[in-house]
Amino acid sequence: MENTALKTTNITKYFHDPVTIPVLKNISLEVKKGEFVSIVGKSGCGKSTLLYVLSTMDRDYEGELEINGVKVTGQSLNNLAAIRNESIGFVFQFHYLLPDFSCLKNVMIPGLKLGKFSPKEVEERAYEKLKMFGVEELALKKANKLSGGQQQRVAIARALINDPAIIMGDEPTGNLDSRNTGIVFDLFQKLSHEYGQTLITVTHDEDFAQRSDRIIEMADGEITNHGHK
Amino acid sequence: MKISVNTEIALTYLSSRKKQTAVAAMGVMFGISMFIFMQSLMKGTNDYFEKSSFSTTAHIRLYSENKVADAHMLNNFLKDNSTKILTNPKQLKQSQGLTNPYGIIQNIRENPQVVAVTPQVTANVIYASGSVNINGTVAGVSIDEEDKMFDVQSNMKEGDLHDLNRVNNGLLIGKGIADKLSLRVGDNITVRAGSGSPMIMRVVGIFATTIKQIDETKSYANIVQAQNLLGKDRSYVTDIKINLADYNNAPMVAKDIETITGYKAEDWVQSNEQLKAAFKIRAIILNSVIGVILLVAGFGIYNILNMTIYEKIKEIAILKATGFSGKSVISIFLQQAVYIGLMGGIIGVIFGFLITFMVSKIYIGAGTLKYLPMSFYIPHYIEAVSFGILTTIAAGFFPARKASKVDPVTIIRG
Repeated sequence: MENTALKTTNITKYFHDPVTIPVLKNISLEVKKGEFVSIVGKSGCGKSTLLYVLSTMDRDYEGELEINGVKVTGQSLNNLAAIRNESIGFVFQFHYLLPDFSCLKNVMIPGLKLGKFSPKEVEERAYEKLKMFGVEELALKKANKLSGGQQQRVAIARALINDPAIIMGDEPTGNLDSRNTGIVFDLFQKLSHEYGQTLITVTHDEDFAQRSDRIIEMADGEITNHGHK
Repeated sequence: MKISVNTEIALTYLSSRKKQTAVAAMGVMFGISMFIFMQSLMKGTNDYFEKSSFSTTAHIRLYSENKVADAHMLNNFLKDNSTKILTNPKQLKQSQGLTNPYGIIQNIRENPQVVAVTPQVTANVIYASGSVNINGTVAGVSIDEEDKMFDVQSNMKEGDLHDLNRVNNGLLIGKGIADKLSLRVGDNITVRAGSGSPMIMRVVGIFATTIKQIDETKSYANIVQAQNLLGKDRSYVTDIKINLADYNNAPMVAKDIETITGYKAEDWVQSNEQLKAAFKIRAIILNSVIGVILLVAGFGIYNILNMTIYEKIKEIAILKATGFSGKSVISIFLQQAVYIGLMGGIIGVIFGFLITFMVSKIYIGAGTLKYLPMSFYIPHYIEAVSFGILTTIAAGFFPARKASKVDPVTIIRG
């Protein structure tokens, strides 16, 4: 069991507007530590919804969610925020940086929030992460002065700042060209294989999915293939 | 000092919206400077009126008062348990003078709060010169002590008040009396008290207060002369006037003196009730004006923060997604309000002082009032800043709480 990064038991979720329909039906899923998982499926199959449930941000579901062996379902908002801060890095479909801050600050903020390292160390680490994605020369630029692709890479760097146990991405390479997609993929693979970090991404990118360790296929709110190789 | 992330984010938001921040801070600034200005004006005015009332009244006046008849004697005589009721009780005339006045004075001096005690003989008199008579009162005083307590010197128009000690039958008269009887310094005046014989006195000085009624009736004589006027001996004293270190303690001290001496001790609050009423009314007017100003400033901050939150709703969602709790979000936005309040507060204090200072230089020139009375009272400034900051916190709290409730999922998924 200690090898499990994330586990769900019978997660069911409904959308209530305009009518109540189930979007996730009895999802039971287990992801091991260090695994690189892609979730694929048609638009509207519920894969993004599942990811937001897994991220602990969406609490409106039935069933149970465990992260690193700790049950997170039913925990207080403050605890969930702390869990997200420490163990989950999230990359959104659209880059979502804070426009008033420099790229460096954007990457640093979750690290400063965690407070595990001194501000100086956090800054060094942030530079490192930016370098990994080749955007270190943009560090002091304001986030809103960057192109979409550059912002996305900064956003991925931000997700990594606290060395989270699990990195989640909702179309993390959606705004990147093939060269940058390649860079990001290689990095993700390195993170999972060398550093033992768990990656769960939702993607439309067929190539990207094919190259990951495991593909979970979804259709109509259900997992049709757990993709165990 | 280590700045927390929340503070850093709050400051960045404020500095990236300099105009809005400045406008909000300006609202607070106006509120606070108006608060200081109005408070200073009111306290200055109140102090002025208080002071001017002390130019004629002592903090406490001790005198013998007639008493209403009670059943005391009946009880003594009948010695039974029946309840005695006096219908239509009358005032019992007490002797006008105080018994053993110098003993009482000695006694009062022992009270540590008392700074000045002086005996006085008040006599109702008729002034006459030629064929004209007017009514008035002579205050028989020791003029040096009277001057110390009430600054008689500042009211002198002609003559020298110290002549009262030198000229045997000297009299200081009010300007109204001088005008009505066309008297000048050095002239003679006939003074007759009700029960005594007429005396010819000499005008050694003329004074004018701001109160016409006093100027038309009052005169000062040496206490011995007043006793002579009434045909009384040297131990005859009608009033004892007492000044305290802090006149706000007067009601309390008056009560003590009343119990010790058994005579009526009237404090300045009792004798100036209209003054107190005026203070209260002014305080109400002032507080409502200040309340409105601060309310408006508060709404300014509320609006600006609310707008900021609408603009930044996506960013709030991201902060929450990356691990900021609701509490942190409240702290970020509340801090913005507090900084706006502090900024406005500091500038407001400076501005408030400047307005107060400038207004205190406006010439009025009515009566003894030369310039608009303004007080520079430190607690006003402290109050203003604390009220200002309280208002901003209250105004910032609701938008901040709203921000803390943003649901990151609905915002990020769109």
